[in-house]
Amino acid sequence: MRELSLNILDIVENSVEAKATLVNIDVIAKDNLLTITIKDNGCGMDEDFLKKVTDPFTTTRSTRKVGMGIPLFKMEAEMTGGSFKIESKKGVGTVTSASFVIDSIDRMPLGNLGESISTLLSDEIETEYRLYVNVDGKDFEFDTRELKKELDGISIQSPKVVLFVKEMIEENILEIGGSKL
Amino acid sequence: MKISELITLLKGEIVNLDEDLEIKSGYAGDFLSFVMGNAPKDSAWFTVMSNVNVIGVAALAKVAVVVVCEGVIPENEMIKAAKKNNINLIKTNLDIYSAVQVVGKLI
Repeated sequence: MRELSLNILDIVENSVEAKATLVNIDVIAKDNLLTITIKDNGCGMDEDFLKKVTDPFTTTRSTRKVGMGIPLFKMEAEMTGGSFKIESKKGVGTVTSASFVIDSIDRMPLGNLGESISTLLSDEIETEYRLYVNVDGKDFEFDTRELKKELDGISIQSPKVVLFVKEMIEENILEIGGSKL
Repeated sequence: MKISELITLLKGEIVNLDEDLEIKSGYAGDFLSFVMGNAPKDSAWFTVMSNVNVIGVAALAKVAVVVVCEGVIPENEMIKAAKKNNINLIKTNLDIYSAVQVVGKLI
């Protein structure tokens, strides 16, 4: 995809489909490697499904027989010389992790994480998200559970809050040097 | 134009031919998420990508045929998926630009 943030959005949507109540998104840049890990507590997959989940002809969708989210994420990581891993346990959840060699010419830019997170927030679902970004030791964290405490009853889906979150994430990423990603 | 005519013009080679479909337009590109949204149905798709995801995208976009260019050899997994999912797949030694030049005006 055009930006890794769009891949993140796609993978997190799998977690939401899997009825996760909490999704952890870690974006860690260290020693020329950008590692994106998405961990959920959704329904998980059995071993058979997990084995073939990187095959484009595997999907949970009933409307079509092809799913490209995970296959593309894996391909894009491997094209940079990086790696991809997915672990899952039925009833426990799923961890999807992709590492990208930062200075590879084939690496897509991280893109706008604020935009991806705000897109997730505007969906009418109850999932909580925790985003953790670490760029060469400088980090920041955003957690919808913390934000909800501050909001004092205002809906997290309201356009003002969504816009605030988007800008806050963008500013924080800029501050810790994440814009070079 | 039929896929069989395309093969002749491109001095191409069949990797998997399920049905000699009529090609109604064309598309060139290697960026799979773009191809997925933009390749027209019943088109000939010219690419240098050679992995199994190409077949997934070809199935989603319902292209008539995938043309792997520049002498790139399709990976085994790709060939297997093409056969299993009835996706027409051919290859040519021409690069994408030259292949499109040969057939572009005829499709």
